[in-house]
Amino acid sequence: MTSQTPTRPLRVSAPTPSQRALQFKRRMRLADLLVIAGWTSGAASIALYLGYGGAGQFGTLGAAVTSLGILAGLVGTDLILVMLILAARIPIIDRAVGHDRAMAAHRALGKPALYLILAHVVLLIVGYGIQQGFNPIAETVALWQMPDMPLAFLGFGLLIAVVVTSLVVVRRKFRYEFWYVVHLLSYAAVITALPHQFSIGGLLANGTLQRVYWIALYVLALGSILTFRVIEPIVKSFQHGIRVTSVEAVAPGVANIHLSGRKLKDLDSDGGQFFVWRFWTAKTWWHSHPISLSSVPTDTTARITVRALGNGSTRLGRLPRGTRVTIEGPYGLFTEAARTSPKLAIIAAGIGVTPVRALLEHSRLVPGEATILLRASSEDETYLWDEMYDLAAQRQARLYTSIGKRPSRGRTWLSAHDAQRDVSLRSAFPDIRKSDLYICGPQAWTDQVVAEARAVGLPDHQIHTERFDW
Amino acid sequence: MKTRAVLGSIFASASVLVIGWQAGASAAHSAEALTSTGSTGSTTASTATGSGTASTPSSTTSSSPSSTGSASTGGSTASTTKTYTGNVIDTQWGTVQVEIKVKAGKITDVVALKLTDVGGRSVEISNYAAPILRQEVLAAQSANVAAVGGATYTTDGYLQSVQSAIDKAGL
Repeated sequence: MTSQTPTRPLRVSAPTPSQRALQFKRRMRLADLLVIAGWTSGAASIALYLGYGGAGQFGTLGAAVTSLGILAGLVGTDLILVMLILAARIPIIDRAVGHDRAMAAHRALGKPALYLILAHVVLLIVGYGIQQGFNPIAETVALWQMPDMPLAFLGFGLLIAVVVTSLVVVRRKFRYEFWYVVHLLSYAAVITALPHQFSIGGLLANGTLQRVYWIALYVLALGSILTFRVIEPIVKSFQHGIRVTSVEAVAPGVANIHLSGRKLKDLDSDGGQFFVWRFWTAKTWWHSHPISLSSVPTDTTARITVRALGNGSTRLGRLPRGTRVTIEGPYGLFTEAARTSPKLAIIAAGIGVTPVRALLEHSRLVPGEATILLRASSEDETYLWDEMYDLAAQRQARLYTSIGKRPSRGRTWLSAHDAQRDVSLRSAFPDIRKSDLYICGPQAWTDQVVAEARAVGLPDHQIHTERFDW
Repeated sequence: MKTRAVLGSIFASASVLVIGWQAGASAAHSAEALTSTGSTGSTTASTATGSGTASTPSSTTSSSPSSTGSASTGGSTASTTKTYTGNVIDTQWGTVQVEIKVKAGKITDVVALKLTDVGGRSVEISNYAAPILRQEVLAAQSANVAAVGGATYTTDGYLQSVQSAIDKAGL
């Protein structure tokens, strides 16, 4: 099997600690700047309103309520646009914080944005009502008759649908695809809400900074979604013309999918990054799969390793030869680029071995730099382990394995047997404090490894995880 | 590192807010002066003189020559003020009509005869937009001025009516 996955020749020198420190410093500076930009955009939306006369509009109760309502709408809209930017998979954001953390921020903003838009609707109905002497119902009817308002109400309804279907509790009840389609409505929500901001909101009065700001933000958000989630994937997919060459069973429910394509090195994927794959057969085209390459690609071939997780991945084991494949990516910071420390510690469980294998293959290492621990709950789940043994030997890395189920009691990420003989993060990785720890496996298990890493005093920037369950 | 992001965000947001608030406070000040002089002509002109805003009162005083000396001297030397009434313009939110006062080939005042008044906020929007439009028309001496944000329909009607009055005046 190893003969089918030729490895790229070793690169000459590993980065020095000071180079890594500099790289980390740059990345953190960029991440901090992005955070600051995000918050400041919220403040700017308020400041621009105040700047163009809003500051004087808090005189009476009705005016104050109205102004607060407008502010809620502005900040809410700003947050939604920031959410779109976070979900657009913009390369600079991915490089700075990683796709998964950008998406965590995206999710965290969802509910506040909805509450602000809710407040916008309620406060304006009440505020206008007070000013006109109408009751809220009469005012709602009056609002409905204003230009572009029926569309805005429609957008509001769509927004509620999007956020509600994304709540964890609700989301579990639906298939991923249903959630995804509903989520696409968020674009419709943003766009239907636009006209009333022009015509009634007056955000876009000619020659104001406010107009410049909002147009720029809309163009940035919708433009980056279009560029990085639609155009770039289509262009890349055509460019590389990837097709399935063979599917090879590795273990029950797990398969290597071998792919061919053109100029695959131009994809510029670092070992450990993932792509979002779509396989164009009648039964599989509507599923997309976030999967990392399980080895460093050559210029014409690549390989992924898939385990049956959902209905969609089950069918991937039977893909016919020649199936057309489209890709989005590469994404993720589970790579050498995130290194900050002199040593490398890797822990992977089950199918989580795939990005780890590519990471190890791609990394520039000095002998003894890396230590690896592989977990499986049974012999059946030792996917790609033979390849890992070879790679570890080649790179002069230590490799430990821990096979067996976790104990039913107690909180450990190791097998019951190893936990009993007091194996721990410290004992397996004596240099853990000087190491970058890369963890890949099921979420609950990952959380336990992270908890132990934090307990031994590992700072967050030395802990790197990749999750697969989204 | 995280602290830096938090502190940076707080600092940047606070400065942006303060700048906006300051700009808004001064804008609100001049807007107040505008509405007090613009909407009800000569009765408020006497109160407006106290506030000391320079340019706006002078344009209104030409229509009420009793208040200041300089305007009355102008009235005796040059041609008299003529009034031209603009067309009635239909908008989605009611009709709009204005008249302009012209003296020596210059528009000296714009008086709104009728503004948008149908539906929820129309009156409020009109009251807000009219003084701004009047000021802009006087400054530009034409109907070619920027729209007032949030008052698209009012603006359209207002400026169309101004244009028709200008046409009648043959300016």
